[in-house]
Amino acid sequence: MAEVIHKRVKPLQVNPFKLSQPMGATLAFMGVDNCMPLMHGAQGCTSLTKVFFTRHFCEPIAIQTTAVTDALAVLDGGDYSIVESVKNICKKVTPSLIGLHTTGLPETKGDDIAGVAKKVDFPLVYVNTPDYEGGFESGWALTCKAMIEQLVAPATRVNDNKLVLLPHVSLQPIEVEKIKDFIESFGFNVLALPDLSSSLDGHLGEKQAALSSGGIAVEEIKALGDAGLVISVGDSMQASAGALQKKNPLMRHQHFSHLQGLEATDALAELLLAETGFSGPPLMLARWRQRLQDAMLDSHFSLGQTRFLVVAEPDQIAAICQALYDVGGKVTVAISSVDSPQLEKIRAKKVLVGDLEDAEQLAADYDLIIGNFHCEALAHRLHKGLVLRGFPNWEQVGNPLKNDLLYEGGAYFLFECANAATLMRAHLAAS
Amino acid sequence: MSQKPKIKDLLNESACAHNKTKKVACNAPTPGATTGGCAFEGAQISLFPYADAAHLVHGPMTCIGSSWETRATQTDWPGRDLTQMGFTTDINLNDVVFSGEEKLRDAIDYIMANYAPQAVFVYSTCVTAMIGDDLDLICKQAAEKHGVPMVPVHAPGFVGSKNLGSRLGGEAALRHLIGTREPETTTPFDINLIGEYNVTGDMWQYAHLLDELGIRVLATLSGNGRIADIRCAHRAKLNVIVCAKSLISLTRKMQEQYGILSISLSFYGKRDTSNGLLAIATALGDADLLKRTKQLIVREEALLDEKLKPYRRVFAGKKAVLNTGGNKTWSIAAALQDLGIEVVATAVKKATEDDREKARQVLGEDGVLMMNPGAEQARLIDERGAHLLLAGGRSLYTAIKKGIAFADVNQEKKKSYGGYSGLLNLAEDLKNSLENPVFKLVARRAPWQK
Ligand code: SF4
Repeated sequence: MAEVIHKRVKPLQVNPFKLSQPMGATLAFMGVDNCMPLMHGAQGCTSLTKVFFTRHFCEPIAIQTTAVTDALAVLDGGDYSIVESVKNICKKVTPSLIGLHTTGLPETKGDDIAGVAKKVDFPLVYVNTPDYEGGFESGWALTCKAMIEQLVAPATRVNDNKLVLLPHVSLQPIEVEKIKDFIESFGFNVLALPDLSSSLDGHLGEKQAALSSGGIAVEEIKALGDAGLVISVGDSMQASAGALQKKNPLMRHQHFSHLQGLEATDALAELLLAETGFSGPPLMLARWRQRLQDAMLDSHFSLGQTRFLVVAEPDQIAAICQALYDVGGKVTVAISSVDSPQLEKIRAKKVLVGDLEDAEQLAADYDLIIGNFHCEALAHRLHKGLVLRGFPNWEQVGNPLKNDLLYEGGAYFLFECANAATLMRAHLAAS
Repeated sequence: MSQKPKIKDLLNESACAHNKTKKVACNAPTPGATTGGCAFEGAQISLFPYADAAHLVHGPMTCIGSSWETRATQTDWPGRDLTQMGFTTDINLNDVVFSGEEKLRDAIDYIMANYAPQAVFVYSTCVTAMIGDDLDLICKQAAEKHGVPMVPVHAPGFVGSKNLGSRLGGEAALRHLIGTREPETTTPFDINLIGEYNVTGDMWQYAHLLDELGIRVLATLSGNGRIADIRCAHRAKLNVIVCAKSLISLTRKMQEQYGILSISLSFYGKRDTSNGLLAIATALGDADLLKRTKQLIVREEALLDEKLKPYRRVFAGKKAVLNTGGNKTWSIAAALQDLGIEVVATAVKKATEDDREKARQVLGEDGVLMMNPGAEQARLIDERGAHLLLAGGRSLYTAIKKGIAFADVNQEKKKSYGGYSGLLNLAEDLKNSLENPVFKLVARRAPWQK
């Protein structure tokens, strides 16, 4: 479909928008109620990650580090710093789970975190997430899989009413909530893993907790095995769905590459209708579908004459490109943070694994950029339109409530892009 | 011999006043109870503002992927501001197994070919330090090949804190840049600004005053800095350390090697700015300069007082509680007093002995020095009837609960509060905060909770 370049050709990244695997892992653990993510490595990774998410979500972020130092870095197998960390964390708070994940440092020296984890007498999930492999999306996915493998109890029966949702990393809290609502409106009981929809949705709590509040409970994770159906969203989440099915072979699985745009949403509705035997959807969904149809027509003129650059994690690129394609938007360039089989399916003229320097060199090919806040400088310098999406977005408030999915969010997304494109053309004409 | 600075030596900084009281293990963070940044981040902070140099991070993605374009260090460098760019070798498993040296070499060549910077700083990070990539050799060869300085910065995160990293950054500049070039001219009033990073343009709030006095900033480390200038820094008459204890070892070494005296001061608030200007003039030891400085201070303070008049009415009778760390415990307190706000308490939990002493001086007998601000601040707000809480984001809830105004003093700020004019910015922000109804409204109970 597209020209796809899977490998970076340069010896470096210039203006990267790629994010690391440990950061994805941290975020996934934040979708568990009362969890303390514990990053195994030197203290800087944790500190940078904390600042990063605090600024993106405008929320306090609880996360700890094993604070590996010089001497330990060479000598210790991770035992001291991990065991000691758990002790010190529990002096102050009582998490329901500790989410232990690695960085490049302990992986380079070969710490055996699975071994150490066995010595810790506290509920803990461990996962290897070296930051010299994979990226944000895979860190999240690996963590989700680890939680399933290490926590979920095997089951032999299914409850057809119970449904597990596995969302990919680029879905904002409100998007997870909207998918849950959509499915729940068909009468299902939906549990999302991880679930940022109630932990990082930007709510003002009664007090300042030292742990995340909201998210799926550990007890709920343990009991996921009897769900009748698991729905994975984003290709990165396929493996997690597989891990869940291993806990109970009776569980069925439906996969969606994404849930953006008319067709994808229709497919979800179709599945739920078939599962329930309902003859039609809840009234609200039907009304939003009509609004999306109308939004597609209203926005197609502006979007149809716009050429896009989309820079994001693979699963999000797939979603955005499809939504734009449906209304005639031409994604001339899509740049992915990392390689993924998903890239082959992307609706774009050219797809590459790269950085924002690549974006700059291809500037003649597009008019409007969809990407994270680093794209702002780019858009400014090159006089392009801009719609901010992905991590981080430090320029705007309200990130947790940005919804691009399903019928409703799909309509808002198209309007936002169409308006940005129109505004951009007005600016260009005036300058 | 290795080019790497000896960490032990840097930790035992004799010129650092608070050194004697700190435990030997002051660089060893507690696992599971640590929040600070790493040495790499500190080194980067101290060197990053050189906008005409490329800052190449040799490591995996976390180090720079989450930290570029985060600091508003401003520059008037007319070329492309390389500070606002991220360069990383983004090493992968293959590099970890077979060494990342070749990639690093190629990356430097790439940067030189495409961005032609005045220098390249090459930062080692945890993984590349562990696998033992030879930064010194690669930088040496690249410097010969390209004819500009290549500065290896040995501050991988695991060696310690942000503070140590800043020292290591200063160390790298001393070894590889300072003294490698001669200035075209010198004046008797040449100074270096050390530890001023020009975040949000702080430096520009007072640089014009130095200019007016005929004091020339020969070089900076590193706010609005130029590589060509820092290479000449050894010819300055005076090193002025601005609010940064971490670079004291650098200035001590410059005194030993080049006989440059140093003074430490801050440009925060009215009194500090005036004192700072006076200190510089005094240290430069010229009677006429001192006289002119005093005149300028009188003029500037009068101007400022005039502009602050409308604010004084708003701040009259207002009391504040301050919960922050380091030198901010007293410098912000002093600035608040300059505005006519009474500071009833300040947190000294994260301050050095020195800073505590200063805080005591600034706040006077009545002021409370909080050792456990998390627990104390709410009580003090009630007891003293405070109207304003200045703290990090985590304390927002205390303010909301008490229904008083809040200002975040820890977040990356967007406006400069430095110098005389910065105080006006602070006044404006605090006024807006005090007058904003949100703090009373947001804690309102829902109709179904009453
Ligand atoms: S701790 Fe090490 S790996 Fe982490 S950000 Fe600092 S230098 Fe990079």
